[in-house]
Amino acid sequence: MEARTLNNVSAMPAPTWHWLHMNDATVEVPEGLDAASDFAIDVAEGTAGAFDAAMAAAQEAWDAEHEGYEYQRNYTDEQAEKLGGTSLSAYQQGVDEVEASKDLARMFDMGMGGDATAYLREVAGTARVIEAKRGEHASASVRIAGLDGHANVAALDIVAAADSELDVCITVDSPTPGTGLTGSTIRVFAGDNAKVTITRVQTLDDSWIDLDDMGLFLGNQADVQINQTVLGAGKTYTGLAGDLRGTAANANVVTRYLGHGDQKIDFNYTLRHHGRKTTCDLYANGVLAGTSTKTLRGTIDLIRGAKGAEGKETDNVLLVDEGVHNKTVPTILCNEDDVMGNHGATIGHIRKEQMFYMASRGLSQKQAEAMFVSASLEDAYIEAPNDATREAVVRLGNKLVDGFGELVEDNEEELA
Amino acid sequence: MANETNPLLSIQGISASVEEKQILHNVNLDVAPGEVHVLMGPNGAGKSTMGHVAMGEPTYTVDSGKIIFDGQDITDLTPDKRSRAGLFLSFQAPVEVPGVPLTSFLRAITTGREGLDMKRKEFRKRIRSLADELDMDRAYLDRELGVGFSGGEKKKVEMLQLLLLQPKLAILDETDSGLDVDALSVVSHGMKLYQETCNGTLLIITHNTRILEHLSVDRVHVMVKGRIVAEGDASMIADIDQNGFEQFEQAAANAE
Ligand SMILES: Nc1ncnc2c1ncn2[C@@H]1O[C@H](COP(=O)(O)OP(=O)(O)OP(=O)(O)O)[C@@H](O)[C@H]1O
Ligand SMILES: [Mg+2]
Repeated sequence: MEARTLNNVSAMPAPTWHWLHMNDATVEVPEGLDAASDFAIDVAEGTAGAFDAAMAAAQEAWDAEHEGYEYQRNYTDEQAEKLGGTSLSAYQQGVDEVEASKDLARMFDMGMGGDATAYLREVAGTARVIEAKRGEHASASVRIAGLDGHANVAALDIVAAADSELDVCITVDSPTPGTGLTGSTIRVFAGDNAKVTITRVQTLDDSWIDLDDMGLFLGNQADVQINQTVLGAGKTYTGLAGDLRGTAANANVVTRYLGHGDQKIDFNYTLRHHGRKTTCDLYANGVLAGTSTKTLRGTIDLIRGAKGAEGKETDNVLLVDEGVHNKTVPTILCNEDDVMGNHGATIGHIRKEQMFYMASRGLSQKQAEAMFVSASLEDAYIEAPNDATREAVVRLGNKLVDGFGELVEDNEEELA
Repeated sequence: MANETNPLLSIQGISASVEEKQILHNVNLDVAPGEVHVLMGPNGAGKSTMGHVAMGEPTYTVDSGKIIFDGQDITDLTPDKRSRAGLFLSFQAPVEVPGVPLTSFLRAITTGREGLDMKRKEFRKRIRSLADELDMDRAYLDRELGVGFSGGEKKKVEMLQLLLLQPKLAILDETDSGLDVDALSVVSHGMKLYQETCNGTLLIITHNTRILEHLSVDRVHVMVKGRIVAEGDASMIADIDQNGFEQFEQAAANAE
């Protein structure tokens, strides 16, 4: 396939200053990559069309619950006129239009969006269904490996029916050398009272590009936990969008990242609160070393009608080198009075007292940096959900830190 | 190489300043191998500054003088090189390093050191036995360096590093301050262990004469306003304990 430029990827719903260059991302797909969708999965194929069927059922239930409901536009045309006609931003106009349609499928977004979701779907073909039926507890592991000269993408529909529990681990690794692209595009449906946990750990060498695209739909009291760990790849793009539709639905997103060398890491989160008393917590924690670059866009959108909703986002980053670039834009959009939105970011540098302390014990600047990178990998090892992921972390760790494997093995023995 | 006649550490006419403000004035101080020296003086005299300058903290500018350690001029060496040459400074206020487990830190500081580059298993055993020796809960080894440690626990971690690194000379900056009776005897035990097992040389900065009771002190230096104003044998300690620093302050004023 020829080279492609994917535009308008992971765009922020309400753009900020253009000159900040972070409203969206542009993904350059190198030329010559063949399309593949070659991944390992340890469960049987679920019911075909399960995601669309679940969404249609959710639409029916929602319509029944909301008979006679009309979405209250942020401004009427007359109000906008009075205010000079220009105050209604393009963003709000867009929201008003989509919300007024009351069409849940239309309001379902993917985190990367733009050209990226279409590209990933095109490469991957039909989505593989992972399913937990009503009341069932199920789990699945997926392993996506970099294939030299390929764009290797998994499309998954993860469907958890009412009262079910579903746990999915996705390992993205490059056990054999090569260059190319890996990716996943995942639609997640969490029905009423369903509990869904998705853990994705990426440990690619830096000759790979990784695209992580996800969209969530949450029913009443649905509880979704997303754990994302980004340790490798030359370029990583992560986009997550979610519709907290049902009453008291909750989404927790925990992101751990490590930037080293010349890596570029791009995160985009958009969580839309529609249901009453919905809650979300976006928590990111990372270390940036070398000349790595990280951009994080986090938007929590508290839509009119989401009374009692609460959203929170935090990004804690430690910059261990002067050469890193770190950009975080937290955005809380709010058209409802009875809601709470909080954001915080702490950016830590290694202070000169800390540097002197470490130096006084014999560590050069380079050794100190390596120590932070190692500590971050150790943490990922400890948190790894299964053996495959642990192995993947060790594989990358050994490339980045001398003796990493021995180090964690020792810790293992310690625990045993 | 240093021997009985050559000092291990020789601070020669050091003047140092921070942001144009001079703190140390022509400081001279020699410590011979195996000896125990004590540096005393009122708050703000410049004792910690001297320790940090000896270790090479870049915050301070050395305006004149030189520092010879183990026969080598280290005045222009970076702190990590001074450490690897065998100099150690226990901090009055140890810093916290979030994100780095104590064990990982200890592992990093021993890596590549001659005689200390142990196998992992051996290393584990070593730090656990040191923790036991210092009456430290082993659980601390897995916690982030200094984060949430009490003042006393931080000082124990300093002692642990002293015993792990086995430097030729250790400057202990108020390692005994803010400790309860039990912790004090642990630190005291640690100092003895350092002397016995590594043939250690000590420069102890303290306000507390109790910690010196179990040590045989060879020499006492008194610093006031950035100058060494008096020196003598161990008998000075009891004198200072009784009469304070007033007697030396006139000497410092005269020197200004
Ligand atoms: N980095 C710095 N910036 C500004 N002033 C400093 C700095 N370091 C030391 N000083 C000043 O130098 C003087 C000596 O301080 P120092 O900490 O060395 O004293 P000390 O003898 O260790 O005192 P104490 O017994 O209270 O620990 C003080 O007046 C202090 O404020
Ligand atoms: Mg001091």
